[in-house]
Amino acid sequence: MMLNEPRHRQYLDLMHERGWERLLFYGDGWRKENFRCLLNRNFCGAQILGSLHRSGQVDVVVTDPSDLEYLGPSVNGRIELSLQPTLGLEQLLGQSQVRSIAINGMEHMPAGLVRQVAEACGSVPLSATLEIEELRRIKTPQEIAWIRQAARLADRGYEYFVEVAQIGMSEFELVAEVESFVKANGAEDNFMLVASGGTEVTGMKPPTQRRFERGDSITTELTPQINGYYAQICRTLVMGEPNAQQRQAYAIFAEAQQAAQDLLRPGVDISDVARVQNDVFRAHGFGEYTGPQYTRVRGHNLGLYPDELPHVLENVHYICKPNMIVIAHPNTYLPLSGYMVFGDTLLVTEDGCVSLSNTPKKLFQT
Amino acid sequence: MKRGLITWDQARVPPSAFATRLDALNQLMERHAVPALAVYTDVWRSNDVRYVSNYMPYWNRAFAVVARAEKPVLLCSLSPRVYPWIKTVTIHETVVPSPSLPIQLLKLATDRGWSRLGILDFDGLPYDLHTQIRAERLEIVDIPRELARAAPDAAEIAMHRHAAAIAREALSGELIEAAIGMSEFSLIGRIERVVRRAGAEDLVAMVSDGRRGLRSATGESVGRNTSIMAAVEYSGHWAKVSRNVAGVISPPSSLERTGYMETLSGCYPWQPVQRQALPDAAVVALQVELDGGAGVRLFYGDTCLRHAGRTELL
Repeated sequence: MMLNEPRHRQYLDLMHERGWERLLFYGDGWRKENFRCLLNRNFCGAQILGSLHRSGQVDVVVTDPSDLEYLGPSVNGRIELSLQPTLGLEQLLGQSQVRSIAINGMEHMPAGLVRQVAEACGSVPLSATLEIEELRRIKTPQEIAWIRQAARLADRGYEYFVEVAQIGMSEFELVAEVESFVKANGAEDNFMLVASGGTEVTGMKPPTQRRFERGDSITTELTPQINGYYAQICRTLVMGEPNAQQRQAYAIFAEAQQAAQDLLRPGVDISDVARVQNDVFRAHGFGEYTGPQYTRVRGHNLGLYPDELPHVLENVHYICKPNMIVIAHPNTYLPLSGYMVFGDTLLVTEDGCVSLSNTPKKLFQT
Repeated sequence: MKRGLITWDQARVPPSAFATRLDALNQLMERHAVPALAVYTDVWRSNDVRYVSNYMPYWNRAFAVVARAEKPVLLCSLSPRVYPWIKTVTIHETVVPSPSLPIQLLKLATDRGWSRLGILDFDGLPYDLHTQIRAERLEIVDIPRELARAAPDAAEIAMHRHAAAIAREALSGELIEAAIGMSEFSLIGRIERVVRRAGAEDLVAMVSDGRRGLRSATGESVGRNTSIMAAVEYSGHWAKVSRNVAGVISPPSSLERTGYMETLSGCYPWQPVQRQALPDAAVVALQVELDGGAGVRLFYGDTCLRHAGRTELL
């Protein structure tokens, strides 16, 4: 049985507390976490649906025969293959007289499927997504162990990134090499963005055919996944000797990230983790580059999804708790250097936080 | 997840291909008496908008809104910082920042004076978007996908063919006797390198050890009975190819007759389809399980065009 037992118990308690007779978990190829938080095995079908009974029984509908065989031994109830876009909801709910249903991932579920659930149980189902997210935010010891493994692989992946990057190579060729490396070393998946160039670069994106030149800053966020769980590292590499502006910019990023790491602990409002990073930029006269025109977030949670909530932003309030996993990354554009990134995966402990990333904190150069 | 090369392959999908598609959508809008058609996309459901404009989100969601006789406008949840790049790989000249897609869609409709709007497969929209849009004072006309995407056009077929060629070449080069003894992870890593250096946008690879079905790699050793299924995406067009180290193949007729079939022409990268429910023309993935003797299970499959009841290997 591959059910995450502590989670399973939490879901059953939540169902009892809320009076839900059934809790559905809907996942697709983008938002797999909404299913994998019930049954942590990868699936390759376009969609998947899990159904948790109050008794603890789990039924699953898959849309790919491979998933039927792969997930089958992990399911303590029924598992069925559906070739219909209705996902076999009629069979799953039709005869059970269920009147109260909540869905994790309901927001991403096709509206027609939600309507079918409503018709089957006589009322509109409730979304369980936020409450399940809150449970998932606090990681179990096993989940932390997997994220540690992912962080170690991110370190090795970045080391390889620096090793293979060379002038004349294109962005997508570099990404191909690094993807190959992390997969060869056990990553189930990896989320990676990249950018290269100088002060004209305003953000990261998927790799292009642009070829690296001397003096370029190459930025990346590397996010390998182990057993479903992601860790992330953000670093900047300069092709050749960094110039004075690149060094000056890096010093600001390093100071900002350290400020976040020094502050992060249980009881701290996540908005303050953003604020202390932005304050560093303000103190150096670059406050305007902390807004949405130049940057997205100052970090985020990590788990079964590489961009979990809450985001680290000054207008997002959330009190941090032990065993959360947060990346603090003050990534933004600066006129000194163009877009620059720097960040580590942090585990919130009882009295502070520890970095799970072991990659040196420095501006890398070839 | 998509993080390979996202480009506009104008040799295979020239601007004229998009012009033809937009003409057809204009006629569809006319028939349904709607001034514009909104088409949804996200990381996993990008087939429809890449058909309209070549936009393929590496992250997040968007709507391409096609107004009659105009180039489509992209309502985009990504940061404006990447819009210059988006404009280089799509036909979009206007990209509108849209932290809330329903609000921006409504604003666009209000600004243009539209009281009716067509939405492609409205019922298939994610529930949160569907609920917010339905609550607005805008008459929504649900346009079925099959009306807008009746059959893959020549440009799409060429792209799927290229994706299949990348997958075949990677498997024929890597799934060989010399791979026996290496770990499944190493083999997948080698395949990943080949397909991404060939310009693939994404790769999903599954492994079978000959005793069990296809699954994610676990790090076991590759053996003579190992099979790999490689789903390769080239600029938004997917292909699925399965091969085995033993080199056992299935004749095309058998693949066509007995293979498990998925459509690559649906809203998802792939989804199961029953033969009788297949439209007149579609790009499909076919896969069979072959008896390797002594209980050994081998997998073989490929990407084909089904047209008027006939199956052609792409």
